[in-house]
Amino acid sequence: MTIARTFTINCQKHSAAIEPHDTLLDVLRDKIQLTGTKRGCDVGDCGACTVLLDGVPVNACLTLAGTVGSREITTIEGLARNGTLTPLQQSFVEEGGIQCGFCTPGMTLAATALIEQDANPSDDDIKEALSGNMCRCTGYSGIMRSVKRCGNYNADGTCAKQDHQDGNVPEKAPENDTVGVSIPRVDAVDKVTGRAQYTADLFLPNMAYGKLLGSPIAHGLVKRIDTSKAEALPGVLAVLTGKDVTDTKHGVSPARYDEDVLAKEKVRHVGDPVAAVAAIDERTAEQAVSLIEVEYEELPAVLDPMSAIAEGAPLVNDRFERNINTHVEQVFGDIETGFAESDLIREEVFTGNHIYQCPMEPHASISTWDPDGTLVLYTSTQVPHYVQYMMAHVLNIPLGRIRVIRPTVGGGFGGKAATSPLEINSALLSQKIGRPVKMVYTREEMFQYGRGRHKQHMRFKLGVTRDGKIKAFKSEIHLDGGAYSSFGVATAYYAGSMIPTLYHLPAYQYDGYRVMTNKPACGAMRGHGVPQPRFAFECLLGMVADELGIDPVEIRERNAMDPETITVNDLDIGSCEYRATLREVKERSNWTEKYGKLPPGKGIGIGCGGFVSGAGYCIYRGQVQLSHEKGREPFQKKSIFPHANAVVKITEDGTAAVLMIGAAEIGQGSDTVLVQMCAESLGIPASRIRMRSGDSDISPIDLGAYSSRITLMGGHAVSRAGQAVVDSMRPFAASLLDCSEDEVEARNAKMFVRDHPDRCVAWEEVARQYFNANGPLVGTGCYRPPDGLGGDYKGATVGTSPAYSFGSAVCEVSVDLETGKVKIDKFTDYHDCGRAINPKTVHGQVEGAVIMGASETIMEDVMFDEQGKLLNPNLHGYLMMTIKDAPDIFSGIVDSYEPRGPFGAKEIGEGSTLPVLGAVAHAIANATGVWITDLPITPEKIRRALRAKEAAKAETPALTVN
Amino acid sequence: MHLPNVQLHEANTLEDAADLMDRFGPHAEFLAGGTDLLVDLKTSRSAADHLISIAGIDQARGISQGASGLTIGSLVTIAELNEADLHGPWAAIQDATCVMAAPAIRNMATAGGNLASAVPCADLPPILMALGASVDLWSPSGVRTIPVADFFTGPRSTVREHNEVLLSINVPKSGPRSGAAYVRFALREGNAIAVAAAAAFVQLNDSGQIDNAAVAIGAVAPTPLLVRDAAKLLAGESPSEDLWAEAAEATMKAAEPISDIRASAEFRRELTGVLTARALRLATERVEDATS
Repeated sequence: MTIARTFTINCQKHSAAIEPHDTLLDVLRDKIQLTGTKRGCDVGDCGACTVLLDGVPVNACLTLAGTVGSREITTIEGLARNGTLTPLQQSFVEEGGIQCGFCTPGMTLAATALIEQDANPSDDDIKEALSGNMCRCTGYSGIMRSVKRCGNYNADGTCAKQDHQDGNVPEKAPENDTVGVSIPRVDAVDKVTGRAQYTADLFLPNMAYGKLLGSPIAHGLVKRIDTSKAEALPGVLAVLTGKDVTDTKHGVSPARYDEDVLAKEKVRHVGDPVAAVAAIDERTAEQAVSLIEVEYEELPAVLDPMSAIAEGAPLVNDRFERNINTHVEQVFGDIETGFAESDLIREEVFTGNHIYQCPMEPHASISTWDPDGTLVLYTSTQVPHYVQYMMAHVLNIPLGRIRVIRPTVGGGFGGKAATSPLEINSALLSQKIGRPVKMVYTREEMFQYGRGRHKQHMRFKLGVTRDGKIKAFKSEIHLDGGAYSSFGVATAYYAGSMIPTLYHLPAYQYDGYRVMTNKPACGAMRGHGVPQPRFAFECLLGMVADELGIDPVEIRERNAMDPETITVNDLDIGSCEYRATLREVKERSNWTEKYGKLPPGKGIGIGCGGFVSGAGYCIYRGQVQLSHEKGREPFQKKSIFPHANAVVKITEDGTAAVLMIGAAEIGQGSDTVLVQMCAESLGIPASRIRMRSGDSDISPIDLGAYSSRITLMGGHAVSRAGQAVVDSMRPFAASLLDCSEDEVEARNAKMFVRDHPDRCVAWEEVARQYFNANGPLVGTGCYRPPDGLGGDYKGATVGTSPAYSFGSAVCEVSVDLETGKVKIDKFTDYHDCGRAINPKTVHGQVEGAVIMGASETIMEDVMFDEQGKLLNPNLHGYLMMTIKDAPDIFSGIVDSYEPRGPFGAKEIGEGSTLPVLGAVAHAIANATGVWITDLPITPEKIRRALRAKEAAKAETPALTVN
Repeated sequence: MHLPNVQLHEANTLEDAADLMDRFGPHAEFLAGGTDLLVDLKTSRSAADHLISIAGIDQARGISQGASGLTIGSLVTIAELNEADLHGPWAAIQDATCVMAAPAIRNMATAGGNLASAVPCADLPPILMALGASVDLWSPSGVRTIPVADFFTGPRSTVREHNEVLLSINVPKSGPRSGAAYVRFALREGNAIAVAAAAAFVQLNDSGQIDNAAVAIGAVAPTPLLVRDAAKLLAGESPSEDLWAEAAEATMKAAEPISDIRASAEFRRELTGVLTARALRLATERVEDATS
């Protein structure tokens, strides 16, 4: 029964025809199209839909629209007045309170309500007020800074900025806004005002809505599908099943494409897509999906790699014998001699956990077809080009017929790095009905789609000399891959290849098995394959240090990687300030005064790690071309085409530049650092550059946001494009300045004669002169990784990179020894990221990585029952840290310069995750006296270990008596 | 994710509420804050064709404290309860309200709803049981008063008849030297669900012995549970760590925990003991703080 209601929203009356079942969130987003209010979980767990009702924060997803009455609704769009941000919004912009921005509207409104009540809230008050607003990017540190600073606004509206008590050093006011300066993110204002549009916020004319039907069982044959009831439902426009779609399989690793668009014969995990529906609205599509009848012949499921690999176990995919999807066998150096020369050999078993990226923005795609047969795909992705490549493969049309538009993306962390069923099915449904089709995952569907971190079962053996020098290391890992290959081949190789980047390993053996199971496929998550082996290695090194009586920092220093080293597995380390990060964390954390000297229940621990600054090779081989047109191409030890490509176009009046590069901004800040590097090379302020990174029709290819590649690779491309523009301007500048072309320099929006800054001309004037004479002033730039990266063994490409990052973290914890509850109190992190292009975004990445890493160490785990059903596909069962769980973080950057990076820069986003797990585990071991080698380190596991230890003590009284 | 089809009705009086419930019967649910009900409907944990909003019933609002005790209207939100100036041992109710869910939920969720939903891990029931509270259930045939300790019959089920409206929660006044506390264990600091919880009430006599006491536990049995054996062994004794340990033994014995994604039954039982001792310790400290 539709009723007309009038709502007072942001001081304005809005009339809407509502249904009794509409929530306030449904009405705001779908009927009034105030899309600043986000749909993150729909059940009150995430806070992204927070709005104010008469000034009080509520979850719009749990408020029935019909019960709102005359109460005043404030949404994010209602905060700024006449284009002026509130002081709190301004604080979020300037203090790094915003990354992907998806939580920002709810967070800002919750904080606004707090500040209205109490202009100077305590830290605890802030944490309490924001405890229902989940953020996956910032680690809450920037958010705390934003609200704390705002709490100190003077009555006249000026800001008495508080000191940074958390120790993160405030920076001097920027003299310019190019490289090395912490300018605010270029998209911050859009995100804090609700202007930023994510894919699900877009409404195209005549748009229909799609939904997928997922398998309810983990493993089975599809015997019969009856769609007649769904098709008969009024409002249903199309229903697709496996028989309606192409036989072409898709995936990530070209040698292992193994995913059907919709199940052809078999379902392999709960949620595996079986049918797709398009309808006039999402509700009807949801209903239609529930009316599809599917008959399955259930097959026994394999749910863990150890049993899946056994002879005779049911096969997830007949292609892979014993369910082994990938087997890696690598030996470097003389492993036997290494162990023979070791004074101490320690072997331990470690187990990881199933981690899901949980970006706050659910995956969403909208497909529409232009009349000329071009697919226009709006999608929430980290890898627009690979999506374009895979859509071309599945649809069998040229890449040139596919335009991928990447609206604002609310976080990815690897979960949006493959082509999703939403992208493919929205395109097919749209093709069939001739209308745009939007598809959005629910939070539960996100978990069922998966692509999270592989759970790894690790057996590690380390041999060292008496003075702690590593002689040999052997690693055997079984990765739980889930039902499809996805990124898994690369994951299995990464799990081995990154270990030798941190320490000198004279001999190294790695046996890796990626095993398929009837669970959602695992993929690439922040630190791709490496965080769990790194956690295990760091723990093992700590155990060995204790056994030898060597300080854990000292044993790391004795084995630390040096610059300009080729590792035992042929990775080419360039700059390396790993030792500096160790020195700095040791000093800043007062390590020496604390380690071994803390009371029971208090602990301190160290962990280290680093990562590639961009993968050395493209995921697919050969040139940019439809895969159907070419056979399997032989591997060549070079990049066939440039991985990052940029165009800079100067406006005709010379006052602005448009920077075009397909590098995916997903919240990490790549748009901002690329603008800064482009500005530096152009010699104009960053504020004059407008970034266009979200449309493949506008921007040339960049391979995307994965393997921490954009700062280095995209940075080179944009700075070279900028340089090309300046080179084009030289003759005109030289003539205006009466000097030679090579004497011309560009900086601070001026062109001048080198060493004579007073002999200058306005930058824009030179640009105008160029346009008057030659027409468009455009520069292009591209970057390809160096040729010949990597060794000559199988899998040698994985782990190659132009440069590597390094970092160390010290964690301090308190453990409640009676309950096992861990409170992470403090983190001290130093990182070698080369030269920081924008230090604040670097700190933001570190702070986010610390919280994400700490959270996965102690609480995150996707759980399954014995039938393979997910037990916690939601944000109250799958636990991530809230702002109340977040420790204080000090993030520091050591002096470093990477000659192979643009302006000396390397990566930060993934490397910053790697030290965290080991540091937390070590700190807990230090506080409790027990090492927990099985992630996550829950209170229950700690208690069990403490009980076992007490029991063992009781059984051996002789030792304690004497 | 959308709510299934429902009809929404507004009841502004108790009589309206009862009439509407009579009309739509078993396919209807009362809607107060909605923070549990809407989630259950969205996730198909429960089904209803009609929602009867009782938010307009004024008799179910407000908090009053007096000689006869504390009365909490069932529509009082958790946030209102959390911010109220509660006297004496009643303040321990705020040990529960300050940890429930998150502020936006607390702004909508109601005290009555936290009882009526009868989720085994609900935070209010244990402390209300320990304080000896009861609920008033209104129906056209009159009001009946049920001790909170007897209100729950199983997970998500209570003695409330379908047409009865939970009108108020009544907490009796306790003697001068009394204190109470609620402590719980959860897996994270914010927006968390109790894995195990314990509430305690103690009243001391002039010589410092326990006149009477009550201990209740949550999240470790099909319903929140008043542990009468614990109360029995505490009465007449002097507070001590050994005594708390004995009480802890009693609650561990009374607990009937399950294993789920948050904890095993074994760990829940262990936590029950730890939390019982902590609740008793804190309640006793509060007596001393109040009288010193």
